[in-house]
Amino acid sequence: MPKVTVDGQEIEVPDGATVLQACELAGKEIPRFCYHERLSIAGNCRMCLVEVKPGPPKPQASCALPATEGQEIRTDSQMVKTAREGVMEFLLINHPLDCPICDQGGECDLQDQAVAYGRGGSRYHENKRAVTEKYMGPLIKTIMTRCIHCTRCVRFSEEVAGVDEIGALYRGEDMQITTYLEQAAQHELSANVIDLCPVGALTSRPYAFEARPWELKKTLSIDVSDAVGANIRLDSRGREVMRALPRINDDVNEEWLSDKGRYMVDGLTRRRLDKVWIRKRGKLQQATWEEAFKAIARAKPGKSIAAIAGDLVDCETMFAARKLLGAMGSGLLEGRQTGMDYPADNLAAMAFNSTFAGIETADAILIVGSQVRHEAALVNVRLRKAARRGAKVFVVGPQWETTYPAEFLGEDVSVLGNLPAEVAEVFDKAERPAVIVGAGGLAAGAFEPALALAQGWSREGWNGFNVLHTAAARMGGLMLGYAQKGGMAEVAKAEPKVVLALGADEVDWSAFDKSLKVYIGHHGDKGAHAADIILPGATYAEKDGTYVNTEGRVQFAEKAVFAPGDAREDWTILRALADALGVEVGFDSFAELQSAMIAEVPALGVEGLADLGPLPKAAKGGKGKGGTISYPVADFYLTNPIARASAVMQRCSAELARGEEILEAAE
Amino acid sequence: MADRTPAPDTPELRERWGSFEFTADYKAKADKAIARYPEGRQRSAVMPLLDLAQRQVGEETDTQGWLPLPVIEYVARYLDMPVIRVLEVATFYFMYNLKPVGKYHVQVCGTTPCMLRGSDGLFETCKKRGMKKGAVSEDGLWTLTEVECMGNCATAPMVQINDDNYEDLTPERLDTILDALARGEQPKTGTQEPGRHTSEPLGGPTTLKEMVEANHDYRGEW
Amino acid sequence: MKFLAKIFTWWDGATIGTLLHSWRHGEHVGTDAQGNRYYRSRRKSADGRERRWVIYEGANDASRVPSEWHGWLHGAFDDVPESHLPPARIWEADFTPNATGTQGAYLPQGALQRGGRRAAATGDYEAWSPDS
Repeated sequence: MPKVTVDGQEIEVPDGATVLQACELAGKEIPRFCYHERLSIAGNCRMCLVEVKPGPPKPQASCALPATEGQEIRTDSQMVKTAREGVMEFLLINHPLDCPICDQGGECDLQDQAVAYGRGGSRYHENKRAVTEKYMGPLIKTIMTRCIHCTRCVRFSEEVAGVDEIGALYRGEDMQITTYLEQAAQHELSANVIDLCPVGALTSRPYAFEARPWELKKTLSIDVSDAVGANIRLDSRGREVMRALPRINDDVNEEWLSDKGRYMVDGLTRRRLDKVWIRKRGKLQQATWEEAFKAIARAKPGKSIAAIAGDLVDCETMFAARKLLGAMGSGLLEGRQTGMDYPADNLAAMAFNSTFAGIETADAILIVGSQVRHEAALVNVRLRKAARRGAKVFVVGPQWETTYPAEFLGEDVSVLGNLPAEVAEVFDKAERPAVIVGAGGLAAGAFEPALALAQGWSREGWNGFNVLHTAAARMGGLMLGYAQKGGMAEVAKAEPKVVLALGADEVDWSAFDKSLKVYIGHHGDKGAHAADIILPGATYAEKDGTYVNTEGRVQFAEKAVFAPGDAREDWTILRALADALGVEVGFDSFAELQSAMIAEVPALGVEGLADLGPLPKAAKGGKGKGGTISYPVADFYLTNPIARASAVMQRCSAELARGEEILEAAE
Repeated sequence: MADRTPAPDTPELRERWGSFEFTADYKAKADKAIARYPEGRQRSAVMPLLDLAQRQVGEETDTQGWLPLPVIEYVARYLDMPVIRVLEVATFYFMYNLKPVGKYHVQVCGTTPCMLRGSDGLFETCKKRGMKKGAVSEDGLWTLTEVECMGNCATAPMVQINDDNYEDLTPERLDTILDALARGEQPKTGTQEPGRHTSEPLGGPTTLKEMVEANHDYRGEW
Repeated sequence: MKFLAKIFTWWDGATIGTLLHSWRHGEHVGTDAQGNRYYRSRRKSADGRERRWVIYEGANDASRVPSEWHGWLHGAFDDVPESHLPPARIWEADFTPNATGTQGAYLPQGALQRGGRRAAATGDYEAWSPDS
């Protein structure tokens, strides 16, 4: 623990800290462009110069200088001030003065730091450098003349994303950042370079010229595009969500966000259900809420009512539906739309027990039936970190392009019963062996053998059994009992008179021919087309809600905008439906609903990891049940109704996933 | 420098170079270069490999060689590294030609010492023979490039042609060299000044003169 | 009919009284492209100034006085515009009276009278219908 003096203030800093980190610990702000906490140190912007004694009599780049015992650091001397002014003047030599038309304006590091640390004007009279625009795909807009060559984007794609595709070509003044042959950036985290870019060189293409940061209302929310539950901030203006940005949460998403979570928000304004529809003589027709409720009451469901939760619903909606069904005397709740029927009686066996931060420390990882890149892009970042620390990764399932060295063991679940000796040895010797069962694995019956394996490799103080779900609502649904023993098949067998589909769009509705299908949701997708009555609900951006991610982490999302047209928050619809059906559900407001939910499932009341209890004992003889694994996510960009409605996601799917040539629209 | 961009990626380029592979000879050299680095650090050999690839392209086309994109991709595959990383290296160093060059790549130094000693005359000489900067001459023999300091300031002005330096040049001496090359002969490399061997001072040493004969101890004279 | 209108209305051209006044005290100076007739008083008033006025050909709308005659009318110069002002340039647009309240009035793109659609705005959404 070296002791250093920063501006006369003596502090102790951790071993291995840099001078920049020492200054931050002392509460000093060090301007920087290339330095980023989650990337390697480049030291090429020179903005973080400070005066350090002992050392050469010149300012030093603090980001790349280790803090050592007895250092005297000054961040407020004349030398430092002059150095910063000089660096800033150099950076601005070739930086265009187009802030008024730049999308980064208002949230630009260069702008802020030029005001704080720059000179009043430039002494440079020569022509500025100009760089041609580079094409980086449908999500990233480039204005490369603004680039200051911090290489954050290069380091991000190499280190975090694990897809080497951005590079710095040429040298000196001619240095240019580009992708190889200007191909589109092709990975699930590509848009994070937009956040990383300290200037306006890489900006968001769908959000180009849409809004200024200061006119946006910021709402804290949770991403529902996958089961990671990334913490996001929804920036809205008026009634429209303009963009989604990641929030920093080291336990969940660090500060990244998958492209889908970031860019599906334009789907919030398309294909929206904003009216009540009732199917009359085989055709959906506009109706009023009263007509719809009457029609449902006329079906006289009694006990014969079921609720199917979709992938995006919040816990409150699911709990309201559960209350309603309970009041009717039914318990037919199901959330696993595609018909999976893994045992859900033990929640600990359903969660990502190692936690995302914990999986980084695993040293042997067995992935069973999960295309992690597509099913949980942010977990893949963690796995890559683990692999970089030396973890060995093995995959059971069809081949996919990993971003780290991984060995594929076969496509059949039966491999788990007789692992190759050398693989088994790796796990036996590992200090922190982990098993990750994905949705594909669960569907192929890998749950029991994987649990048995994990228990064979159990270690003190380490829980290595992980289930990686694909739906944001899944974990909350399981906590609320949205699981029947036989899965969807059992619900279908019960032939309920009324089925409440809570945004359920992946269900095979042909099994419910005789039921009155009431779709409560927000997008006109598969579920709405199959429904008999459509009640327009709210998206995740339009209601307060609790979500539980695949780790079992309870998180609250806030309402950013109002639902369009006649659409209502889902719980109010269910409350009104209770009146129409003449039953009592016991809540009249959202607060009452929430406290009722917390009273029944206390874990949902506390933000953070829920205590799900101990793992169950794996059943004997669960080994060797065979089944070929196939991955549930066919197209990363189109996995949920919001993304399917989004024009940006459709374009990404066409261009990046299916590789179609899209002609650039004349701009 | 601004014209240093890779030759465009056309179907013709792909057809001509898409099947590029090291010959057995070059493969041996490449593997030797790779073997210099420890296991897992094979990427370090990217610079020798690019040079070898450029030389092989040169042999195949009877020129100084250059690096078409498919060849760069081949090197990337050979080292199992991302193409963009190889392209970064290839575009950074001037010794890698990104566009076709002639049989003789005439690199005239135009930096201050050479300029003061008459490099402008050398450019004139080259231009008179039909060379143009950054382009292959019509007979396919010459490519003229202006380069920065090559470290031969003591014998300025100088020209690097292919792998050899020619120093202490005048327009006439350069003409003689280029004539010889055009005939297919190999002129004397190094300094062209009669009586000079390398870069020693002309007309004998000007300092430490006693040291020429024997090891003289100057310390008493300070 | 026209005679009756002259007696009982005041919005087109001059009233009878003004016409009589112009005939008795006014001197016709010139006529502009629209046919508006410009007069000045033959006698100067007590403070030595002459009065200048216009009789409109058609509606009494002050914006129908073209810019060159506007200057004369307000005493900016004394000669008639034809002799006082330089000849019109080819790039000068023809004078048009204020079109507000008339058929020719400017309507922005989104005006309902123009059958226009309003530009897309924040919060617009595309509703789903079963046929889509």
